[in-house]
Amino acid sequence: MTAEQAAPDLSYDESVIGVEVDAGDVEITREQIARYCEAVGETNPLYLDERAAAEGPHDGIIAPPGLLHTIQTQGWMDPKVKFGNTTFAAGSKMVVMHPVHAGDTINARVAISEVYAKTGRTGTMMFVVRRTTYRNQHGLDVATNDFSTVHRQVERVQ
Amino acid sequence: MTADQRYFEDIDPGDEFEESWEALPEHVQQYVTLGQRNLETMGRFRDAAGAREVGLQRPIVPGMMSLAVLTRLVTDWMGPQGRLQTMDVDFRRPVQQGDTLRVLGLITDTHEDDGRPIVKLDVYLENDRGERPLQGVAIVELPRRP
Repeated sequence: MTAEQAAPDLSYDESVIGVEVDAGDVEITREQIARYCEAVGETNPLYLDERAAAEGPHDGIIAPPGLLHTIQTQGWMDPKVKFGNTTFAAGSKMVVMHPVHAGDTINARVAISEVYAKTGRTGTMMFVVRRTTYRNQHGLDVATNDFSTVHRQVERVQ
Repeated sequence: MTADQRYFEDIDPGDEFEESWEALPEHVQQYVTLGQRNLETMGRFRDAAGAREVGLQRPIVPGMMSLAVLTRLVTDWMGPQGRLQTMDVDFRRPVQQGDTLRVLGLITDTHEDDGRPIVKLDVYLENDRGERPLQGVAIVELPRRP
C-alpha cells in the first residue's frame, strides 16, 4: 500500500458549518424531571419537592441543568465525516443563563460549529463540534451547549 | 444532597469537597431511555458484546450521564441560591459500568465580576485505577452572606 493510499480520508461536507436548524420543541414535565433525577441520583428538593421548590428562589420546580442534554433533537445537519468507524463524546461546554421550570416548552436549535482533525499518540482523530441553543416559550435563551464528538478508527475486541 | 446554602464569604481557594458515585448498569439503562433515542440503540451502553464492537472490554456510561453526576456535585455544593454559570468538561476516557468513582471539586479562584461573587472550581471524576475519565471547570455565582 502506498503512503497516498494509506492517508486517512479527512473530508467532510463543509457546507453545513454554521447552518442552524430547528431541532424541535419539548415540554419539560415534572415526571420527566423525576425520571432524570432517579437515573442520575439527584435528590435536590429544587427539582423534586414541590413545597420546598415553591419556597425557593425559583418559585417552583426547576429542571437540573443536565436534563437539557437528554432532549431528543432531530433534523440537525450531518457533516458526513468519512473518517473512523465509531464516535465517542469528547467535550461539553454548557453555559446556563436561566433556569428551566417544570411546564416550560424548550426549543432546541442546533448548528455544526466546527469540524477538525488532530493527530496524537493514539493516531488521527476527527472532531465535530455541535452548538445547541435552548430557548423557552417566552423567547428567552436558557442555555447553550457546545458538544464535541470524536470520530475514531477502533478495532473490535475479540 | 443538602439544601444548605453556601455563601461566598465562607469559601477559599484550595477548599475541596467530594462525593462517591457507583455507576450501576440499572441506572445507565434508566438514563438511556430518557429521551435521546440514539443512546438506547448503542450496544456499548447495553452489554459487553456491544462494548467489544467499539474496542471496549466492558459496557460504559454515556458521557452526558457522567457529566450529570459531576454537575450534581456542583449544584449540591452551591446550595439553592447559587447559580451555575458554566460547566466545561473534557471526556478523557469512558466510565465503565460497575465502577465506583470519586466525584471531586476543588476551588481554584474566587473573584468579583461586575460586583457579582464568582467561584471557579476544578471538577473531575476519578476511578479506583487512579484515572480521571472526566475533568473540567465549573463557574458558579454564590450569594453573599446576609
